[in-house]
Amino acid sequence: MKPLSRNRWSFPDLGVGVGLRTAHYAHILEKQPEVDFFEVLSENYMDTGGRPLRVLEQVAERYPIVLHGVSMNIGSTDPLDREHLHKLKSLAARTRALWVSDHLCWTGVAGRNTHDLLPMPLSEEALRHVVARVKAVSDVLERPLILENASTYAEFASSTMPEWEFFGRLMEAADCGMLLDVNNVYVSAFNHGFDPKAYLDAIDPSRVAQYHLAGHTNKGTHIVDTHNDHVIDPVWDLYRHSVARTGNVSTLLEWDADIPEFEVVHAEALKSRAFRLEEKAVAAAS
Amino acid sequence: MRPPLDLTLPSLQGWMQAVIEHPGTVDEAVEAPAARAALDPAEIERVIRPSKTLTSVERVGVYQGMYLLRMVEALEGDYPAVAHFLGAEGFSEVVTRYVQAHPSVSYTFNRLGARFPEFLRDSKAVGNRGFVADLARLELLVTEVFDASQSPAWPAGEIARVPEEAWPAARLEPIAAFRLGAFGYPVNAYLQSVKEENHDHPSTARQATWTAVWRKNYEVWRLNLSKPQYDFLRALAKGRLFGKAVADAARGLQGAAGEQLFRWLRDWVAEGMFTRLNV
Repeated sequence: MKPLSRNRWSFPDLGVGVGLRTAHYAHILEKQPEVDFFEVLSENYMDTGGRPLRVLEQVAERYPIVLHGVSMNIGSTDPLDREHLHKLKSLAARTRALWVSDHLCWTGVAGRNTHDLLPMPLSEEALRHVVARVKAVSDVLERPLILENASTYAEFASSTMPEWEFFGRLMEAADCGMLLDVNNVYVSAFNHGFDPKAYLDAIDPSRVAQYHLAGHTNKGTHIVDTHNDHVIDPVWDLYRHSVARTGNVSTLLEWDADIPEFEVVHAEALKSRAFRLEEKAVAAAS
Repeated sequence: MRPPLDLTLPSLQGWMQAVIEHPGTVDEAVEAPAARAALDPAEIERVIRPSKTLTSVERVGVYQGMYLLRMVEALEGDYPAVAHFLGAEGFSEVVTRYVQAHPSVSYTFNRLGARFPEFLRDSKAVGNRGFVADLARLELLVTEVFDASQSPAWPAGEIARVPEEAWPAARLEPIAAFRLGAFGYPVNAYLQSVKEENHDHPSTARQATWTAVWRKNYEVWRLNLSKPQYDFLRALAKGRLFGKAVADAARGLQGAAGEQLFRWLRDWVAEGMFTRLNV
């Protein structure tokens, strides 16, 4: 298959970005490092009118911004949180965000939020449920929703299909995109015993709007997606494998715990350039 | 291998959340009434597949084990001085009880700790709870001020431009990021000692204190006030007529009360506590 240079929505390949984190605010504002784009955790900026929002506005003046959420609760059987969606839409407009993403998961029911990315049963019932909700969210946001594959530590006996099939059918039926987290594919493959390349090979490359990379913690019996370390070589290999299918797609490194200096995070992100396609390969493909 | 149990999506999610939110071990969680109501623990393998290395219960336990850690971490961010005072174990214990009573009901962690001060005040198990509850109340004010919307400060130079006859009927309006607190303990001094990592903490004995918390240049500031200062500033911030606020404040002061009140006002305006004067 020829690598595609663009996804179906013509989201640009922004290059290599990092997550905007409080620990790096001063460095970013003062040094204005050469970063291709920043990804912002949406919920951290929805309910504040203070310094975080001011910093975000300053960053958005200089860098492309994409929004990434953790509380859309798209898979929950609770009603959609309209307040959340409207604030998200407003934040996207304010920051001129190029796209808006969240996770294929649920975070709580009965009006509560566990603030975790909980796994979905991969069943026909769950698929119908999520398709309807993604369509509803896209209508509110007036843009395609991008969903990330979360790391999962449990799988349901009632699941009738692998996650890649669930994702493929969801994206087709709800016309949404994917934020393909290669580390999460690796983590879930380890935890559930599937072939990560089979997952990557089953994803429609034209639906991949963004990549995520991160470090994790191997507990021996299972891996936890901790975002607290460098990306391991097998994950880089998977990234290279996937980029060969999708072409160059905006790629972001997440580092959320034990956060080192900005330069360390950025340098880790920039390693991905070695695995991205040469310019001429992209041109030939497009 | 027995066939999967046919749980609906709402039942499945309700069961899993009940397990995750349980404060005990995961074995206790699956046996607890809230989880049992949705799923007999003997049937868990028919809902969660075991892996080669983890049982079904252990796999749910990965999520359950992280829940309280996340809540503790979030509240520690909002209440660092309370966490310092109670110590890691004490803080974790009180947060465990708090999130059972007041679990997160918002997409944001920002609102999780909104009822923490009142919870501490009513927690008989917390030592020196009057002090701790007051300390939490101050830290909540700091959080509120940090996140409040931005409003422009009334320039200090404007005071001189207000005609003298306009003052009595004027009302000052504080910026959105302004709060006042009256406490029964010296909590601002304690908070400051924690921020400075000074382990020689001030006394936690009862003592009435008053503190203004506001934001200037996107940074949160705190100022200790005397009781007359607090009363005067509170009256102004509540939008009382300036003339009335001054008259009330002057009654409790000795000597040249007018000059003193004007000096306070000038300082507070210079600190950016007010956004406008409504004449």
